[in-house]
Amino acid sequence: MSKIKAESTSLANRIANRTRGLSRLSPTATAGVLIILFFGVLAMFSGGFMTHDPVSSYPDRILEAPSAEHWFGTDGNGMDVFSRVIYGAKFGFGIAIPAVIISVLIGVPVGLIAGYRGGLLDEVLMRFFDGLRVFPSIILALAVVAATGQSLINVVLVLGFLDSPVFARVVRSEVLALRSSIFVESAIAVGNPTWRILFVHLLPNSIQGAMAQTAVRAAWAVRISATLAFLGVGIQAPTPEWGAMIRQGAEFMITGQWWVGIFPGVALIFLVFGLNLFGDGIQDVLDPRRRTEK
Amino acid sequence: MVIPLLVGVMFLTFMLVRIGGLDPVGLLAGPTATAEEFEIITEELGLDQPLWKQFLIYAQNVAQGDLGESWLSNRPVLDDIAARSVVSLELLFWGIGIGTFIGVPIGLRAAFKPNGRFDQSARILSLLGFSIPTYWLGLVMLFVFFYLLRWAPPGMGRISLMVSPPDFVTGSYLIDSLLSSNWSAAHSSLSHLILPVICLAIVSAAPIIKQTRAIALEVISSDAVRYARACGLKAKTVRQIVFRNSATPVLTFVGTEITGLVGTMSLIEYVFAWGGLGQYGLNAIVRGDFTAVQGYVLVLALFSVLIFLIVDIVVALIEPRVELN
Repeated sequence: MSKIKAESTSLANRIANRTRGLSRLSPTATAGVLIILFFGVLAMFSGGFMTHDPVSSYPDRILEAPSAEHWFGTDGNGMDVFSRVIYGAKFGFGIAIPAVIISVLIGVPVGLIAGYRGGLLDEVLMRFFDGLRVFPSIILALAVVAATGQSLINVVLVLGFLDSPVFARVVRSEVLALRSSIFVESAIAVGNPTWRILFVHLLPNSIQGAMAQTAVRAAWAVRISATLAFLGVGIQAPTPEWGAMIRQGAEFMITGQWWVGIFPGVALIFLVFGLNLFGDGIQDVLDPRRRTEK
Repeated sequence: MVIPLLVGVMFLTFMLVRIGGLDPVGLLAGPTATAEEFEIITEELGLDQPLWKQFLIYAQNVAQGDLGESWLSNRPVLDDIAARSVVSLELLFWGIGIGTFIGVPIGLRAAFKPNGRFDQSARILSLLGFSIPTYWLGLVMLFVFFYLLRWAPPGMGRISLMVSPPDFVTGSYLIDSLLSSNWSAAHSSLSHLILPVICLAIVSAAPIIKQTRAIALEVISSDAVRYARACGLKAKTVRQIVFRNSATPVLTFVGTEITGLVGTMSLIEYVFAWGGLGQYGLNAIVRGDFTAVQGYVLVLALFSVLIFLIVDIVVALIEPRVELN
């Protein structure tokens, strides 16, 4: 009985140790968290905030300036820009979260195996990743989405896949350093199967650097998916996605109807900025290399 | 090292455009085409051959310097790319040049007082730079400087329609008009250049600030600098030592940045209808112009390799510890 209790307190201690880092977040990182929470609430309860239906058009109110009725004005189809901007938060999270999860699910095991096994497999994988780096990420994402089919799910899959090398690299370099450490050698010596060494012994010790990357990579996914939509690839207008809305607003920018394109852009910047602020903060706390910087 | 990379790149793009759902035949034939017309076009494009044969033919042509003809414009891809490269390089050169010129001093200054007020502002500024969508920034600039203030020309091309472009020398309107002392063309091309260059400079400065700060921090905590400080050297001299030791890694970073900025530049070209290589590539990808996409991607890869080579040479020139071999 007492043994179980001792274990549970040690678990509690471990959780406390892990979360203590989060309370050390800098003010800017806290601001990031608040921004993300703000958009999270908008995305989850968008129905409560929207003043109009985001995709129903009012043909007699095309391109109206912001007013008491339409807070952010109306776009070229006569749709309410305010409600569309609110609804757009759903796409921000709906793309970024699954894309990052896919990247982690692909990248982390690949990094583990490549780092642990080494040899030809490692060489080929790293060369392949190097090759991918020759291309600007937006060009690569654009080409793959254009070639493999234009749907929301496909955008998520492609972004998740293309970003997985980031996680693979981080995990691989950690595993390389841990591979010959005593706890791994003793785990091998007592006869653990390889999968157990990889996922039970190496994974918990090498995952921190990868976790530190998640928020920044989510920011990347939000930005790139909006860029694709802006170019008319993947998500198409009149879907209330921010990039697609900026595309609609582009032509009105030089004729003076600024509200169509400006508001979704501001929302996009804030969400990406929030994710970047938070990501920068958790890198300081979690990333062992950056922790020594201070 | 370079050749396998290029062959790999060629193979990947080749497979990517073909395996995917793009349908150039349908695009070329139009909606009213008959089944026979489809067949003729498929044959003309060589798409009736097995994939491996298509690739061999393509690789053979590339080895002879022939990138094929664009299926949409019927013009040689190489000519199109060559004509547009200079146009894009002009933008890229000024954009990243100014971005480095702004970013490096800010990053250095931030590193001298880590977590000071300047460092905090620089950090937020650079994170903001990471977060602003380039194309949106371009559109806002057009709205402010063209629509509201009437300071800048509308974002349509590189020179005003009212001004005849200068005689062709380098392909850059600004340089060509200066060479031929054509002042009205020089003025017009410069005014068209300013907004896109500012956009590119802002976006490229953000990562440069962040990286320069990180590099300089590492240099400052190195033994050499601590020794210099312990010897009681003046703050200015210590700064010089830090700058000198940070120069090589910063330069290498800017080199890798250029490759990434090609994507950003494409978007800026798209917004300002710049007509350079980036816009050409975007159009080719979106419209499914296989040969143009392949040529564009290959040239991008070559460009990256070239940039890395140039960076290596420059590093060897300024860094006595590295020798060229």
